Amino acid sequence: MKSSLKTKLGRKALERIDLLLLTIESLDLNGSESIYWTSQRLGLEKRFPNRVELWKKRCLNPLRKSSRRGSLTNHDTEALILLICTISNNLYPLLRQLLSSREPENITSQRWSLLNRRFSELVNERMNTRRGSVTKLLQSEYLTKVNRQMILILALSSGPGGVDRLMASLQDQSI
Amino acid sequence: MSLKTTISYSQTSAILTIEGLPDLSLNQDEENIGILSSWKLSLIGTSELEGKLIHLKAMMSVVLPYARYCLSNVKREFGSSDSPVSISPTRDKHKLLLRSSQENVKPLELLIDDAELSDLVRCLDSLYLDSRVSIDWKVPINKPLDKVEQTSRSPFAEIVGLPIFGISITLLTSLMFLLIPVAQEDDSNYLLKSLIMIEHSKDS
Repeated sequence: MKSSLKTKLGRKALERIDLLLLTIESLDLNGSESIYWTSQRLGLEKRFPNRVELWKKRCLNPLRKSSRRGSLTNHDTEALILLICTISNNLYPLLRQLLSSREPENITSQRWSLLNRRFSELVNERMNTRRGSVTKLLQSEYLTKVNRQMILILALSSGPGGVDRLMASLQDQSI
Repeated sequence: MSLKTTISYSQTSAILTIEGLPDLSLNQDEENIGILSSWKLSLIGTSELEGKLIHLKAMMSVVLPYARYCLSNVKREFGSSDSPVSISPTRDKHKLLLRSSQENVKPLELLIDDAELSDLVRCLDSLYLDSRVSIDWKVPINKPLDKVEQTSRSPFAEIVGLPIFGISITLLTSLMFLLIPVAQEDDSNYLLKSLIMIEHSKDS
């Protein structure tokens, strides 16, 4: 299979992939299992034969506590993008509820605070909190902003054209 | 028997319906659409939109790239002032402006939130990738953004702030060093030292 990715992803893109998966886990309490089972359903056993392999790929995020050196191969990147887009599609009703301004305001704010709390717990648990960018991520105002952006990315990546869009955005030149 | 085919793409807040005919000169099947005769877009809370193929093409060519840029957190306007459709970010919503080709008709302005935007994008994506519809939509392909395109997301102060801060720190430090007086020897000491030197020279 020929890869449609032109270059290997930079560290910002690796961070973003892991944060998107972390957001999925914040949305779905059984998220880590659902990520693994979706990978099996999509026929990605070769890329992620078990949970440990999937975890190893995610540990390429330099912000992780147990960060690993190296980078994702183009095929691994495509598999992870497909995984994110498929799960986003399954979670679309939930993503939509969070983004909608027509939902009752008190219920929306409760949903957001629950999501932010879970996301911050996961960041605390898995990321290296001594790093400046992780400390910044844990600041409530910034965390809310990042979370909203992540939910919008997941929503716009969920449709039939989502894979292409997400793949292009992850290859942006880093500033 | 009518060859007219109707296809609908439905999401929570948007329903896009297209009607058309197969292009028999290209040997298309009966259920295919090669010639689009009309389209309708219903967005919750707004009036129903209708138009010609050119308007739908214009909508696709601005909304899909806009969504692509949103993924990179770059908020900018798509569609020029003479284009039938344009989309731009507002404070926390997205402004969709639809201009009529008829004179003296004011442009229709629709404010949609993130959820409605993603519904619209999913409808347009479904149409764009539908194998039953053989129309060249002329949508720009999704490309990675270069640094210049991404800097538009950073506020001006953030872009120039750091260099200005650096230059001012350098200037201030230099100024501080200039203000420190150069240590000069006391005149009386100078005379005393000169006398001692003269004494020494006499002795030798």
